[in-house]
Amino acid sequence: MDILPYGENGLRLIFGKEISLEVNERVRKAYLYLKSLSLQAVIDVIPSFTTCLVVFDQAQASFDELADLLRRGQKEMAETELPEPRFVEIPVSYGGEYGPDMDSVCAYSGLAEEEVVRLHTSAVYTVFTIGFLPGFPYLGPLDKKLFMPRLDTPRVKVTEGSVGIVQLQTGIYPFDSPAGWRIIGKTEVKLFDPSHFPYSLLAIGDKVRFVSV
Amino acid sequence: MAAEIEVVHPGWLSLVVDAGRPGHADIGVPPSSALDSLAFATLNRLLANRPGTSALEVCGTPFSVVFSDAISFAVTGARVTAFLDDAPVEPWATFQARPGSRLMVSAVIEGFRYYVGFAGRMDLPEIIGSYSTNLECMFGGFKGRPLMRGDRITMRDAGMTAPKAVPEPLLPPMKPPHLLRILEGPEKNFFTADSLDIFCNMGKNMCYAVSAKSNRTGIRLEGDLMVFAQGAAESIVSEGILPGTVQVPPDGKPIIVLFERTMGGYARAGVVIAADLDRLAHLKPKDPVSFSVVTPEEAVRLTALRKRYVSSLEEALS
Repeated sequence: MDILPYGENGLRLIFGKEISLEVNERVRKAYLYLKSLSLQAVIDVIPSFTTCLVVFDQAQASFDELADLLRRGQKEMAETELPEPRFVEIPVSYGGEYGPDMDSVCAYSGLAEEEVVRLHTSAVYTVFTIGFLPGFPYLGPLDKKLFMPRLDTPRVKVTEGSVGIVQLQTGIYPFDSPAGWRIIGKTEVKLFDPSHFPYSLLAIGDKVRFVSV
Repeated sequence: MAAEIEVVHPGWLSLVVDAGRPGHADIGVPPSSALDSLAFATLNRLLANRPGTSALEVCGTPFSVVFSDAISFAVTGARVTAFLDDAPVEPWATFQARPGSRLMVSAVIEGFRYYVGFAGRMDLPEIIGSYSTNLECMFGGFKGRPLMRGDRITMRDAGMTAPKAVPEPLLPPMKPPHLLRILEGPEKNFFTADSLDIFCNMGKNMCYAVSAKSNRTGIRLEGDLMVFAQGAAESIVSEGILPGTVQVPPDGKPIIVLFERTMGGYARAGVVIAADLDRLAHLKPKDPVSFSVVTPEEAVRLTALRKRYVSSLEEALS
């Protein structure tokens, strides 16, 4: 674990460089450990694929104090028990009007649409992180046969519930948004509800399976 | 007592804002806070409101509202030409509206975003601990959207408060050119030495201009392109980002991240220091911008300096 400063009030915990479930599990442990400490000085903890960003209040703690505390807690952090993963099934309408990029995915991969759907629905994905938009889950790993580059020119708008793939990841847009991912389907499931705690359907570490409807 | 504020002219963009939504970045919820935090905090001091009481952040003119009842108000942030009916409204000072009076902001003189606040609190729903508008996702604020002509905001506990004013010499400068002090970013080594040198040229030449494509999510800059060093990656595995981060996409045009994102995947060349963050609210299209790198020790000194300035401003209003 590396600890590096970022700006005046950021502390990065770095667990690796490449995306992997093992590295992400260590990120998740650090996130849960930091949450369990409920430090007054910590404003936000942002876990992602390979790092955890701790945003702190400079008036209450310095980078050095926090870094010391985390170094001393390293063993405890690594031993943090991960809760049993939560499984969530997401029903998806694939292709046609719901998946404007399905044709280009088929063309790029050389697979028939049924095969794309079969591959996309046959894996259990892990939520590596939530970001970009509130409640947007970065899910992976995606089957290598479905590897797609980003759109050269992002779409100005995709609708809420759009299911996209890019590289070895898949995700769901919780809001109407611009998008550079390839949209292959759409779900009616609400990913984010600002009116009801805990707001986001998914959290880091959750497991997701897509079901074709 | 309740009062109603009716929007007649909304400017280009009028949003309900407050101190934002800290503490929810782990589920991708950005702060969406008022961009000029000092102008926002001072507004509530001028109005004897509780710190963090929501206000309007306005871009562009004309902006005008009509008051149904007597209420104190103030305008901070960008220096504007404003009138209460026919009487001029001074910047960063408390004014008293009578029933039926109209506040009109007709021109912005210096700066970009101005803040209009009222004594009392807006009768709006609190969403994820805040009244700020998340414009992209359309939640919070006034029905999750910018204010439009005819919108009415009901003020609870509306009232009059003793007039106060920030003395002219204490008003923060907002005139371009904008010199932004930065700390080196985590990926500064992704760039060639030459291009880093141009990027933070200590203000000798103004090397960037604010792009018209800038918005509340990010300030896009045009000018010398940042060049990625040979063999360096042109992006990173997405991770948490801080407001004020200067990101560089593969096209080499820097973007200053504001308060609407929690994660990013572009190389980070620098981070604007805390003491200069409020200035970002006042970068308007075409303004010249330059960066100057400071050491972490220098940033600590500048933060302390900024704190002293803020305290003297608070003292002037106590």
